[in-house]
Amino acid sequence: MDRPTDFPVTDLFALAERRMAWLEQRQATLAHNVANANTPGFHARDSAPFAAALAQAGRLPLAQSSALHLAGGGPAAGTIATRGHERTASGNTVTLEDELSKVADTASSQDLAVSLFRKYGGLFRTALGR
Amino acid sequence: MDIEKALAVSARGMNAQTARLRTIAENLANQDTTGSTPGAAPYRRKVVTFENRMDQALGTEAVRVKSIMPDRSQLPERFDPSHPAADARGYVRTPNVNSFVEVMDMREAQRGYSANLNVLEVTRGMLTRTIELLK
Repeated sequence: MDRPTDFPVTDLFALAERRMAWLEQRQATLAHNVANANTPGFHARDSAPFAAALAQAGRLPLAQSSALHLAGGGPAAGTIATRGHERTASGNTVTLEDELSKVADTASSQDLAVSLFRKYGGLFRTALGR
Repeated sequence: MDIEKALAVSARGMNAQTARLRTIAENLANQDTTGSTPGAAPYRRKVVTFENRMDQALGTEAVRVKSIMPDRSQLPERFDPSHPAADARGYVRTPNVNSFVEVMDMREAQRGYSANLNVLEVTRGMLTRTIELLK
């Protein structure tokens, strides 16, 4: 009897989920940059590339055995300093144009991930005849 | 959740720029405010500074107004012996507000506000699309 081939179902859903989580994290980082566009001494940050985040995904987070412990990795976790093209006299390295283009890029990537997620879910609905 | 933090951070950014805009309005409105007694100090221009601080309630860092300090630059003097605030030499100290500087500052605040608003709208779009997955 033929065994049904293993369908990498969960993989794609899990991948899409991780991708969406990463994009949300990146969006939060970019929001930080834009909000601090006039903060003296602020250095622009960006998320580590998705491939690196994916490779790190299997690692366990730090345990919190007391309410006073900070969660492993604060806002700086998984973020890297971007190489600013310009630096103002106050030491700020945020370039609003760059940040906004990254925001647009993140939004369209998220649109793609959500569409793929939906499309893949649609395949199952078709298979189930609904 | 990161996306909610992004929304909150953008909102804080807009708050900070609004505080800056309010200070600019105060400076411009007071650009002719002198003292009323001989030798009295006039209005001094105010300067807003921002900082990125950890917000415990939000669980992330967020921008906020660090301080609103007076501009310590030299106050210009104008010769006007009939003015109630004129000193013994007949000079009146006038506010160190330069309307060109204020207008440029205002433009920059407006630009910062729009950028934050743009990020907020894009983030909200991402959130909406994610929620629509449930439909």
